[in-house]
Amino acid sequence: MWFLLMLVILLTNGMSSFGLKMLAAWGLPASVKYPYLTLWYTGGLVVIALPMLFKGMRLGKTEIGWGALAGVLSIGGQVAMAAALTAGVPGHVVFPIAIGGSIFLVALSARLVFGERMNTPTVLGVLLGLVAVVLLGLS
Amino acid sequence: MGLFFCFLGAISFGLLGTAFKAAERRKANAAGLVIACFAWPALIMLTRTLLLKSSVHLPGKVYVIAVVFGMCAAIASLAFQLSISIGKVTVGWLMMNLSAGIPAIVSIWVYHERLTLFKGVAFALIVISIGLLCYGQVMERRAVTEDPARGE
Repeated sequence: MWFLLMLVILLTNGMSSFGLKMLAAWGLPASVKYPYLTLWYTGGLVVIALPMLFKGMRLGKTEIGWGALAGVLSIGGQVAMAAALTAGVPGHVVFPIAIGGSIFLVALSARLVFGERMNTPTVLGVLLGLVAVVLLGLS
Repeated sequence: MGLFFCFLGAISFGLLGTAFKAAERRKANAAGLVIACFAWPALIMLTRTLLLKSSVHLPGKVYVIAVVFGMCAAIASLAFQLSISIGKVTVGWLMMNLSAGIPAIVSIWVYHERLTLFKGVAFALIVISIGLLCYGQVMERRAVTEDPARGE
């Protein structure tokens, strides 16, 4: 099950951001990104909400509260990155710091807050993955 | 000031991954969490769209890719939330970020972008990293099977 979930994350999350590249390639105006992102979020919302609706499941306070926090943090991260780019910091500096830093922070909190321990191959995999993400950001 | 925003972005995204794990520890329903997580930005983007000074004409193909890729993102978020209940949040979060290699490969194939040395090394490291992460997971399962107390 875990391997299948990792494969799904790798393929679906990877492709989810490709649309913005397609918009740029089609030469559409920058203002298109707002209605695009409205439809993008709505499409995601519907694909998960419809099966839940048919199952008669309801959202609790936990989901609404933590979901709101996640939404705010997600938008906060995007806004901060956009502000850094606007301030003149080149993309090959912004992306490795923001993405690499977030992985480091998650690893730190996983150990200190949630007490997660990793074996040697996992630690090596995380370190090499971190380098790969930074290299992708640099390129 | 620009670098400050870079680190602010890192902190925001880092806290985002931590918030997902905290929600999982509080037994939040994975699908419900993803719905709430997508509903707020959808509302914000809708407001931003309605506030645009000039009306924007969207070609049909934009509707299609927006909905399809949005569905991909929601499925990825759900898979991530489910994965951290059976695996490590660091590995799940890293996998979400390693997935950036997929559009980079597709861009080389579709848009004939140049395969630079950095990209080539990054792709090789992604493959090795995924192999090590999978091996680590196999070792972890084996250890839990031999000593069930380790899985608690």
